[in-house]
Amino acid sequence: MTKITTLADDAGIAFETLLSSVSDLWSPSLRLGVTGLSRAGKTVFITALVHNLVHGGRLPLFGAYANQRLTGAKLEPQPDDGVPRFDYESHLHDLVEERIWPQSTRSISELRLTIDYESASAWSRRFGPGRLSIDLVDYPGEWLLDLPLLGKSYAEWSAEALDLAVQPARLSLSDAWRGQVEKIDATAEQDESVARDLASTFTDYLRACRADNTALSTLPPGRFLLPGDLEGSPALTFAPLKIENGQSAAKDSFHAMMERRFESYKSIVVKPFFRDHFARIDRQIVLVDALQALNAGPGAVADLKTALADILKCFRPGGASWLTSWFSSRTDKILFAATKADHLHHSDHDRLESLLRELVREAVEHAQFNDASVDVAALAAVRATREGTVQHDGSELPVILGVPMKGERIAETKFDGKTESAVFPGDLPKNTGSMIEGPTNGSSNLNFVRFRPPALEETDDGVSLSLPHIRLDRALEFLIGDRLA
Amino acid sequence: MSESPRKPAVFNVKPEQDADSDPRSSAKAKAKEASPRSPVAVSPKAVVEIAPEEDAQRLVSEAFSVDTMDPSNSAKPRSNGFSLLKIAGVAFAGLVSLAIGLAIDSLIRDLFARWEWLGWAALGLTGVFLLGVLFWIINEIRAISRISAITKLRDRARDAYEQNNLKETIAVSKSVVGLYANRADTARGRSELAKHDTEIIDGSDRIKLLERELLSPIDAQAQTLILSAAKRVSVVTAVSPRALIDVGYVLAENARLIRALAELYGGKPGYFGMIRLFRNVVGHLAVTGSIAIGENLMQQVVGHGLAARLSARLGEGVVNGLLTVRIGISAMDLCRPVPFLTLERPGMGRFLSELVSFSQSSDENDGGSKPENN
Repeated sequence: MTKITTLADDAGIAFETLLSSVSDLWSPSLRLGVTGLSRAGKTVFITALVHNLVHGGRLPLFGAYANQRLTGAKLEPQPDDGVPRFDYESHLHDLVEERIWPQSTRSISELRLTIDYESASAWSRRFGPGRLSIDLVDYPGEWLLDLPLLGKSYAEWSAEALDLAVQPARLSLSDAWRGQVEKIDATAEQDESVARDLASTFTDYLRACRADNTALSTLPPGRFLLPGDLEGSPALTFAPLKIENGQSAAKDSFHAMMERRFESYKSIVVKPFFRDHFARIDRQIVLVDALQALNAGPGAVADLKTALADILKCFRPGGASWLTSWFSSRTDKILFAATKADHLHHSDHDRLESLLRELVREAVEHAQFNDASVDVAALAAVRATREGTVQHDGSELPVILGVPMKGERIAETKFDGKTESAVFPGDLPKNTGSMIEGPTNGSSNLNFVRFRPPALEETDDGVSLSLPHIRLDRALEFLIGDRLA
Repeated sequence: MSESPRKPAVFNVKPEQDADSDPRSSAKAKAKEASPRSPVAVSPKAVVEIAPEEDAQRLVSEAFSVDTMDPSNSAKPRSNGFSLLKIAGVAFAGLVSLAIGLAIDSLIRDLFARWEWLGWAALGLTGVFLLGVLFWIINEIRAISRISAITKLRDRARDAYEQNNLKETIAVSKSVVGLYANRADTARGRSELAKHDTEIIDGSDRIKLLERELLSPIDAQAQTLILSAAKRVSVVTAVSPRALIDVGYVLAENARLIRALAELYGGKPGYFGMIRLFRNVVGHLAVTGSIAIGENLMQQVVGHGLAARLSARLGEGVVNGLLTVRIGISAMDLCRPVPFLTLERPGMGRFLSELVSFSQSSDENDGGSKPENN
């Protein structure tokens, strides 16, 4: 693995860690990294987590909470002044009042949640501060795709992108772009208009890959999909080129121009993101939406696996000892979560978990080798469905009940987003391998539809209950339970 | 295997009372389940059953119907085959019962001969006696079957926890809740557990909840029982003038403790159940007792050896109290419907410190030997 940080970066990170370790003495904080590709459910996870803690949800397996040692949780001003605040209130409004999922995240935001608790041990009750601040960072999942670029040169990246483009799942999508690349002479004089043209075709190809019916995941650079205020800047106007092996760029050639822009993309866009938000994470939850990829078939699942493997290489897992933790920030607990577990029946959760285990196997091994503890769970931060059974063709079908989103469809049925339906989305295969390596084309036996967020139950007094969830309490226990011991 | 794949399908939620609603044979459903299911497109005619834990209910009814409540497969007598002595014994018992029967019969005849109403009274008394014996036997059988049902439940709970088997843990959990359903002091725990019924929680986590919500209050009561029995034993040992009195009292107190624990965890054990339980407790003690000593008794004994040196009587009292504690913990192991899986089994140390401080204070209070003889 190529090293993605320089010595200077490491020194900077160590310095920041030391600073925060010192301030942790009187106000302990924990950076909980919520990682996931776009549409994996990061925003919903953060919103549900905060809501359940602040409003006292049903969290029977979150030990400190169930033992009634948590006395309160509240939102506080975040430590980083330069980052927008996570708009918890409006996301919650979307979920609870409008019953729509929050819009996809377009920029980075942060939130600090402070928990007051009483420790179970008399020693820390007396001397500990009895409060823990959890810093949560939300960001567009597309940005994650950039992290692997840090370790790659332009030539390496170009070669990889071209290889990827001829894979069966992408072959038809990348036609236009590949045609254009063929025509371009990398050694020619640099030309802005050609560059813009090429970049826009490349972006179109990436966008097409992301559409619902293909649902591919390995699509760097992420800012091409979500440019934000950098749109049109030179740092975002480049594309892979066909480069002969070992050929170095001649001065002022098209190749040199692309390479320069690739490097500035890394230094302007990727590195600050990595340094400020990824290098210092104490606990990590990796959200993976396997269902969307499963809908699209084994090709998409395999692609998801590649994307995850690349991204997860950028993390810094490792056990924390009291001495090293002053200088080096390592993620000592990682939870891999298959999100949207409410979109299939719980009898399939085991299979979903084993699929996820397979998808992130390398990362799990890497983390365990580095002494970090790892867990895998099927999770739904907000549970949008209930479960039931239906008699069908002489056997019992496990179904889930909920209100599917408008425009979703199964077979000939199209949903209007208002009526409740019972849906059987198909069985996950017993053999995990077949979900990843099965035939790329052919009709999929799986059809997971998206459901609208649940209508909150209200008690007789008109108090609305907390957002229902699946295994959110277990995730919390794993991620922060030991800090509240 | 893939000839019957099931397609994703949609159904109406409003239950339509069609002929379609008859439950199919579960064997067929099982067979279907074994093969990978996938795509089917269906007309929205089928009946949807919104029952989050229908599986659980089915399993519970199974759990409560035949296996666990049937006395025939509990209380297995130890196989000791035929022996001549046994044959003789059975024959003799037969003779004795014939003799008793004859005696009663002739008694009643004599009474009839003397005064008719005396005869009727005797007949009535005999009937009451027989009925009493019958009900006593039924009660004993039920008590024994209850104990073995709990034993079975404990094994199931352990297996289900270790395999993280969701269906089985739901069934176990329902059975345990059923066990305490008419105990008012578990109302809160039961309602807490009921709240989690519709949640999706893994098997082993359900056992964790079960232990925490339902069993831990009972455990606390059990520990109080054990501690107070141990205190009584240690005091009586310390003040009793004769060793024989100690022994008798310790035995009686322990028997009472085991009985109380059995009642606390799962109803009255009955006479024969009690004997069985006592035997099992002692047997269990032989197996686990040495481990218990290994884990934390040693340092405690060494640490509190000082206390024993203060006064010989006090030391004896503490030792006898400890014996009671060990028997109590062992009985707790055997009476609890779920083994200690996620909660910690109460250790000796917790009892010991309290016992020693109690003995010391009581020793001082009744003006016994002061620590002048150290």
